[in-house]
Amino acid sequence: MKMPKTLPPIIRIAKYTLTDEIRQKSFIIMFAICAIFIFLVRGCYQGNFMVNGQTLDAETVIRVVSKLTFHVIAAGAMLLTALLSMRVFRRDRDEGMQSCVLAKPIARWQYVAGKILGLWVLSVMFMFSLHSVVFIIASINLNAVLPEFLIASLLCFFNLLFVVVAVFLLSLLMSDVFAFLCVLGIGIVGLVADGIYALSHSQMAQAMIGQSGAPSDWTWWKAVYYLWPKLSGAERFASSFIGGEGFPGFGSIYPLINILAYCLILGTLLFWRFRNEDIV
Amino acid sequence: MTNLIFCYPYFLDITGWGTYSFCMIELNNATKRYGTLTAVDNVSFSVQAGEYFALLGPNGAGKTTIVKMLLDFARPTSGSLSVNGLPSTQAASRNAVGYLAENCHIPPYLSGWQYLQRCAELLDMSRLDAMRQCGRIVELIGMQGREHTKVSTYSKGMIQRFGLGAALIGNPKLLILDEPTASLDPIGIREIRELLESLKDQGMTIFLNSHLLSEVEKICDNAAIINQGRLLVKDAISALVKDNDTLEDVFVRLVKG
Repeated sequence: MKMPKTLPPIIRIAKYTLTDEIRQKSFIIMFAICAIFIFLVRGCYQGNFMVNGQTLDAETVIRVVSKLTFHVIAAGAMLLTALLSMRVFRRDRDEGMQSCVLAKPIARWQYVAGKILGLWVLSVMFMFSLHSVVFIIASINLNAVLPEFLIASLLCFFNLLFVVVAVFLLSLLMSDVFAFLCVLGIGIVGLVADGIYALSHSQMAQAMIGQSGAPSDWTWWKAVYYLWPKLSGAERFASSFIGGEGFPGFGSIYPLINILAYCLILGTLLFWRFRNEDIV
Repeated sequence: MTNLIFCYPYFLDITGWGTYSFCMIELNNATKRYGTLTAVDNVSFSVQAGEYFALLGPNGAGKTTIVKMLLDFARPTSGSLSVNGLPSTQAASRNAVGYLAENCHIPPYLSGWQYLQRCAELLDMSRLDAMRQCGRIVELIGMQGREHTKVSTYSKGMIQRFGLGAALIGNPKLLILDEPTASLDPIGIREIRELLESLKDQGMTIFLNSHLLSEVEKICDNAAIINQGRLLVKDAISALVKDNDTLEDVFVRLVKG
């Protein structure tokens, strides 16, 4: 019986996590819902849409529908990832796999890394396969390949990593449902804040602020806004490739950097927290 | 020079020096507190290689906490523990260690075979080696014919057998068993006892947590009795049980003070 090398146990734990999670009802239900959604969206590509009395051309329709579908799938994948992640440690504990793995010459960090990798790969596969279906439908309807759609999907992988790490960490600190709700809340608050931010920067809002004349200190709010996990920002950055707008500039990379920084910080906290956790 | 005690890692064992033994398990003033509750209080003892050792105590005495600390499932508040000559906090200390939990659980959607295979693969065994090992283990635990059915259809006793089988994968040198016969019927208890005796004959060190004092008396060499986290006594069974006493008498006398 020799000491396993560092990488194989991580990959094996990831493989077991992946196969175990695929059996979960929430995964099957979400996959079915997304498949139905894509099936229904398929019809939108052939529809006639009018805006201000003018019929939209087929290319615009395809790009808009693709972008919309992209966002729904990305958000659905995050929801599914959070749902699956919240019970990973508890399920492993209840089913005896945690003590079984950690009684072997496998370090705790390897176990956690395997769990993160397994769930991340599963959610990435889920999202990428659905995005790929939309990519194929869009490409057929447009008679042209849309590689930027897949690039955008790749960029959303980091959001899923954030969700996995955040839910894992929070599930060690609080009940599973609260951990799920917290991460859901982080996503929703970020989305609403982005909306308010965009609204406050509109010409109408600027004019209203200028008219009121009351000086207001937004520094704190701005700091919170910029430091808040920018899940929707990263998704918007990714989707900006689909609209044919091209690279939106380095400034818009910030949400991605923000998410990566959070993954790093929360990941470190997760490893540290699990290291001190009593195994039941 | 017949029984020199060396506490060095197992992999440094110099084979052929049969008269030398070394500490498989060593606790040095190990203490574990949960808030204001002291589960294990300054416990020190050692278990030599090849020993069949029983840790006895009433419910809540701290036996399982000691097992947890040995496997690094719980960190001691103070003191230190070593397994295989290495600090228990190092993953390498669990090299060549098999463990059976008190209430063994196995994922219900797996078959017993798949569970054993996972355990083998986690030890970095090749698929072929894992298959061979699993076949041997299934035979050893007497579960031929049932290994490919789902665990959800197993009785508690069958799960316990597969749990023991998982602990035996990789030919461990140290077996840590927490109530191994808890869910077994009398025939199962006898079979497991015979199996453990044969493992001991092969030179395996066995650390047993058990309430079945009559079983312990029959098969163990040494025992430690703890109560309220404190070590009351650690000695050879033959030294503990004298005259017409049974281990149960000694146990009750010591625990009740």
